Amino acid sequence: MSPQVAWGTRPLTEALIVRGLNKTFAKPAVSDLDLTVHAGELYALLGPNGAGKTTTLRMVAGLTKPDAGEISVFGIDARQDPAGAKGLIAWAPDEAMIYDRLTPLEYLEFVAGLWSVDPAVARTRAEALLAQLGLADEARRRCEGFSRGMKQKVALAGALIHDPKLLILDEPLTGLDAAAARLVKDMLQARVEAGCTVILTTHILEVAERMADRIGIIAGGRLLAEGRLDELRAKAGDGAGTLEDVFLQLTAEGAPA
Amino acid sequence: MSLFKPAGTLWLLAHEIRLAWRGFRSGRAGKGPGALIGLAILFGFACLGGVMIALGVHDHDIPVNPLSVAIAGLVSLVVLTLMLSQTLSASAEALYERGDLDLLFSSPLEPRRVLLVRALGIAASVALLFLVFVTPLLLPSVLYGHPAWAGLFGVLIALALIATALGLFLAMALFALIGPRRTRTVAQVLAAIVGAAFFLASQYRNLMGEAASESLFASIARSAYDGRLVLPPVAGLPLRAMLGEPLPLLGLLAFGAGLFWLAANALGRRFSDAAAAAQGSSTRRARGVTKPVAAFAAGAFRATVRKELRLIGRDAALLSQVLLRVLYLIPLALVLARSASKVEAAALAGGAGIVAFMAGQVAGSLAWITLSAEDTPDLLAVSPTPASVLWRAKLVAALIPVAIMLAGPVLALAWFQPLTGVLTAIGAGLSAYCCAQINVWHQKPGKRADFRRRRGASWFSALAELLVAALISGATGLAVAGLPVWALLPLIVAGALVMALRRTDDQIARTLRMAG
Repeated sequence: MSPQVAWGTRPLTEALIVRGLNKTFAKPAVSDLDLTVHAGELYALLGPNGAGKTTTLRMVAGLTKPDAGEISVFGIDARQDPAGAKGLIAWAPDEAMIYDRLTPLEYLEFVAGLWSVDPAVARTRAEALLAQLGLADEARRRCEGFSRGMKQKVALAGALIHDPKLLILDEPLTGLDAAAARLVKDMLQARVEAGCTVILTTHILEVAERMADRIGIIAGGRLLAEGRLDELRAKAGDGAGTLEDVFLQLTAEGAPA
Repeated sequence: MSLFKPAGTLWLLAHEIRLAWRGFRSGRAGKGPGALIGLAILFGFACLGGVMIALGVHDHDIPVNPLSVAIAGLVSLVVLTLMLSQTLSASAEALYERGDLDLLFSSPLEPRRVLLVRALGIAASVALLFLVFVTPLLLPSVLYGHPAWAGLFGVLIALALIATALGLFLAMALFALIGPRRTRTVAQVLAAIVGAAFFLASQYRNLMGEAASESLFASIARSAYDGRLVLPPVAGLPLRAMLGEPLPLLGLLAFGAGLFWLAANALGRRFSDAAAAAQGSSTRRARGVTKPVAAFAAGAFRATVRKELRLIGRDAALLSQVLLRVLYLIPLALVLARSASKVEAAALAGGAGIVAFMAGQVAGSLAWITLSAEDTPDLLAVSPTPASVLWRAKLVAALIPVAIMLAGPVLALAWFQPLTGVLTAIGAGLSAYCCAQINVWHQKPGKRADFRRRRGASWFSALAELLVAALISGATGLAVAGLPVWALLPLIVAGALVMALRRTDDQIARTLRMAG
């Protein structure tokens, strides 16, 4: 049984606290998961396919209802006050959540409306974000002809339009070319430096190795290890040099027999 | 598949049929036998009708005279036009629906072969639609005394082939003339107009008023009886083919097949080029990038209304369906205005009732699209905006086009008959609101692409909308006819029905969670 968390007494230095999270579909997807993400850090959640990463993040974002467990976002109990928690979060899945028949500007106007961003502020932010992401020339074209990478960038702009405190990204670099991937990585770093908390999942371990302040490794719905890269190396033992070595070793150990 | 030579036309056709069959089966999965039983009952009734016809016409033959030739020709033209409205729309869609088109065009298969098979699919689906209606009515007569009438089946197949060829030519001509971006929309709108053309033609007395003294059919019949109807020999071809005369039937089938073959062969290469050009080309060309950005909508409600109106305005298939209903409303509106100016109570009451009914049906369709066909439900779910706010915004977005559509007829009516105008506006508004609200309470999320022709719709919602709209339209008609007390009866029943269908926000959310 996971320990109960007294949310009210927690310092707000924790962006996300997950305790005893459980979710079962046909079989258990997430089991007794505990996770802590500090405010202002970039946290990489890694795991093999089907490890429960996306299910965990969907539960944090309020998209999937947990069977059990507690989720706190900056001290707000996400299960008791979902709207309060959602107001602080942005969620960007690997499949861009956009409307093909809207232009990027129209899409950003809609997303800003959902988060009740002041229209004048939203308009300025939208222009800046599109320019930053290299989409200024495409701002008034409908998204239906966009490449996957362009759609991903529009979705990322949508995630940032309300200036979230906690940004959750599921495979944010999928479909992006090298230049776009660099652009997105730089933007994420800049956000973290500005105080935003970022949680991302990725299969590109080099990205996690270079960008993440802390890394969580999950397999079979359970958190196998969590910490800085050197802490994970120590946990993995001798011979674990790169994150790839650590990852393979820990997931092999954690795999069900 | 292995029966046919790989990469041959038959092989490709077998592939398409297999995909279509699997699509049908997966579409039926989990739906239960209800719809099939309903169809079987309908089919049974149609067969019964067919048997009655067969008994009635057993000892009669259809004479080949100017009147019957003219009627058969007119009916063929109507059927061809209705088929054309479908094949034009399907041909334009074939250019945009990616499916496995990229795979097929990247293979060494000849483009004309791909088009031939796609076109065969279009022709088969159109022919099948008409054959399903005609077969139970005609087959008993064919089996009992008139085997030659089986020629009608051949005529329908020939007409489907001709309509498909014309649809392909038209779609490709549109593509060449106005480019890929507008073709889809224009083709859909054109298809709606073509589909409604004969309805409008049949209503030309209503459209023209006193200027037209008799209906089209009456005019033809009178000319035939007077002996003034002189038709060229070729005009008898459809009737003779329907009656099973071998040469006309074979001639018509050969003409249809020839035109179809010509279209498929001549347009094969152009089709692959057009399909390639259509991909991603429907994006709006970038306007000046320096143009200032318009003010953003404030708040979730306004932003959602604006977004939904944009999506409705950019959905060619949806627009054509709404346009079709508007086209059907035009003669009605003219009848209403004319009756209002002369105070023809019965016509006025009936017309007002139909306006209320149409308002409910259009509002129901639009609300169903805005509420259930949400492209990014996760985006809405992760936002802090309460779902109820979003549902109400979507409901308002669905009602705005209905209000615009009805404003003209209702204002014209109010000009001549203020009270009738007010009663019609109330009836239409109430019908539209109730039908849209039913879609809020009984949402059935799905993909927008599946929503053409209400595929995937909840039968329950559709039936409930129909009943409520019919009851409110009845009440409107009775009120306009000067029977307000009687109008209360259907209104109370409609109210009770709406209350029974009502769901709280929590209940809706729970149902949606279970569906998800």
